[in-house]
Amino acid sequence: MEHTVNAAKCMKCGKITYPTHFYCPACGSTDFGAVAVEGEGTLLTFTRAYTLPLDYEDLYLTLGIVEMDQGIRATGQLDIDEPATGIRVLASVGPVRDVDGRTVYGLKFRAV
Amino acid sequence: MLDQLEAALRPPKLEMAPYPAKHILLANGETLVVRPASMDEADVLLEIIDPLKTLDRDFYDIVSARLYAELLGWKRHRVRNEYCLVGVINGELAGIVNGRMFDEHHGISYHTLALKRGLRIGAHLFASKMEHHIEYLGQDEVWIVAESPIGHRRWMIEYPLQQKFSIQHELGGAPSWVLTRETYFKARPRLVTGTRPVPEELLACSHPIRKPDLRTMLVQIGDTLEAKL
Amino acid sequence: MRDVAIIGASTTQFGRAQWSLLKLMAEAAHGAITNADLGGRKIDAVYVANMGSARNNRQAGIASALVDRMNLYPAAADTVENGPASGASAVKNGFLAVASGMCDLVLVAGGERMREVNNIEATEFVSFLSHRYAEYIYGITLPALAGMFARLWMNKYGVTSEHLAMVAIKNHSNAMLNPNAHIKMPITMEGILHSPDAEMNNPYIAEPLRFFDCCPVSDGAAAVLLAPAEMAGEFTKKPVIISGFGQATDTQAVHERPDPTVLTAVQIAARKAFDMAGLKPRDISLAELHDAFTILEIAQSEQVGFFPEGTGHIALEKGETQIAGKLPINTSGGLKAKGHPVGATGVSQIVELVFQLRGEAGKRQVKNPKHGFALNFGGFGNNVVATILTKGA
Ligand SMILES: CC(C)(COP(=O)(O)OP(=O)(O)OC[C@H]1O[C@@H](n2cnc3c(N)ncnc32)[C@H](O)[C@@H]1OP(=O)(O)O)[C@@H](O)C(=O)NCCC(=O)NCCS
Ligand SMILES: [Zn+2]
Repeated sequence: MEHTVNAAKCMKCGKITYPTHFYCPACGSTDFGAVAVEGEGTLLTFTRAYTLPLDYEDLYLTLGIVEMDQGIRATGQLDIDEPATGIRVLASVGPVRDVDGRTVYGLKFRAV
Repeated sequence: MLDQLEAALRPPKLEMAPYPAKHILLANGETLVVRPASMDEADVLLEIIDPLKTLDRDFYDIVSARLYAELLGWKRHRVRNEYCLVGVINGELAGIVNGRMFDEHHGISYHTLALKRGLRIGAHLFASKMEHHIEYLGQDEVWIVAESPIGHRRWMIEYPLQQKFSIQHELGGAPSWVLTRETYFKARPRLVTGTRPVPEELLACSHPIRKPDLRTMLVQIGDTLEAKL
Repeated sequence: MRDVAIIGASTTQFGRAQWSLLKLMAEAAHGAITNADLGGRKIDAVYVANMGSARNNRQAGIASALVDRMNLYPAAADTVENGPASGASAVKNGFLAVASGMCDLVLVAGGERMREVNNIEATEFVSFLSHRYAEYIYGITLPALAGMFARLWMNKYGVTSEHLAMVAIKNHSNAMLNPNAHIKMPITMEGILHSPDAEMNNPYIAEPLRFFDCCPVSDGAAAVLLAPAEMAGEFTKKPVIISGFGQATDTQAVHERPDPTVLTAVQIAARKAFDMAGLKPRDISLAELHDAFTILEIAQSEQVGFFPEGTGHIALEKGETQIAGKLPINTSGGLKAKGHPVGATGVSQIVELVFQLRGEAGKRQVKNPKHGFALNFGGFGNNVVATILTKGA
């Protein structure tokens, strides 16, 4: 199955928001269409987090916030050994966590 | 001369290299001396951990009770090649680790017990124990199990250890995790610290071992886990 | 609206509780009640601040349970949940009940018993505060959000790990003077940052934040008793007036904020509180800020208006935020060392200000304080409550 992560595009004013809100932050409309969070972006900040929830068996997770060229920002996992702020990254969708034994899919970024 | 029966009851020994003492500066500015305990110190160690055997928090009870038995076995020569390292601050006992040589190439890690909390003393002592097996006893691998979730995080995930479930660990036959020379040397810069040699006055300060104040120790460790109504 | 006074304040020892959550909260509440002289008058309403009793302690409806445990029927009782800012939110609700004239005597108790579960589960439970689909599923925890925030802040303003350590050292040393603090242990710059052993003493939790940049997981409870200011004299000789409140919200996902280093809810909440009290930041004698992570004390000290942008760490460096400094911050030890039982924290910040304003803070007493400021930070700054207290006449 194809997994995607969707942002919301306002049908009235065209603003893209991620995550989704009930009212459009720009015009207040409630009418949205889905657009995939995808493509390239720039790494804004990141951390290697060592104290992890019990369902992770990793020493640490690399997490970051990316400014997407689409004009939104997104939080996700980084598959990057030595991240640095300002580097260019590419988004993809993959398994990010096991919640109650079910695999959850989300954004993963790698360097380009 | 040992009588014949007693001699027969004592497991045969392998040669064991000594662990050279080191000192570590702790977060609060105090100095932790890590050194081997001698067998004539077994009594004071037993006395100190005795009240922890019923402390039902973070598995202090099971770890203390087993450690108690192991130290007794060591003192009475019923365990083969057991050693015990202590962490001492200003003469006061702050933590204990122990283990033994299974054979020349394989080590068995027994227990890690921190008596003073919040200073990563347990983590420092566990690292010293691994250092002993790999660098001073010259072994190829150490078999390890964790009895507590904290232990699992600290050792299995942080080093990280590999599974070697084909081997049963002595502690209840639980499947073993293993630290190899390779993992050890990879983790060493991150996890193994300390300075050698220990200045003579400092080393002298770590003898004889003083008992921590019982109340302070129990409050530190958290004297009860069960909620009282 | 009537003016509202705090006529009683109390806290339990923070740390690892020997008691059930209800008993903890009852002890704090009892302390606040007996701190005032009620002459047999009954409490009209109870507000209880708590975040996780149903999950961690298997007790839901904690406000009703507390009324029962204490035997305060038929007082009205409500639980207030606003994450780590539940405490100040509950005080705000108590304030509104009295100010409106609906109630005279209102008890506000905040409590949390997080250590009934292990540390990893406690961190996981707090991470439920993050956005479920845009943050939580990635393994985001509060320390991780704070780490990403710290990196941005440090790059922008030239704040170093030493500055972060200075916050921790100051707050640990304040906590040594607070008998109710969780962590009463000094720490040194050498031991946590500069010696070759420091890497191991103070490992990373979420880069660039280390172990000693993070608050501990604590149990504890705190309580205050509120009454109309005009009646306060009947109950206590030393009333403390609630002179300002402000609250604001912000985006749940941190990445959505136009500039993630700007804590808009902090700025708005503080401004509203100052406006209501008719005060300026320079009028404040001491502040309790929400230093769940050391970086937050520096950031908040600027964004509530105490120091100009980008200079919080410089004021810290100069010692201005120490107990004897110009603006003492976190005399109690802060969340960093006093401890952070999430539901109790906001109430306990207010309790510290009350002790200080009444001149009862013992060895950590600030000289002649007149106005105290507290900032309680919910989520990662998406729901913030600021409170200003003023010494009564
Ligand atoms: C496991 C043990 C040896 C660890 O000791 P230690 O390294 O000295 O740990 P500290 O006492 O400094 O840890 C203090 C706290 O910081 C936490 N901590 C330590 N290192 C940490 C890190 N790298 N990241 C996050 N938290 C950490 C610990 O969980 C502990 O939390 P708590 O006191 O709030 O529960 C000790 O807890 C102990 O003796 N436990 C009982 C016996 C036991 O379980 N032994 C291990 C058997 S395998
Ligand atoms: Zn719109």
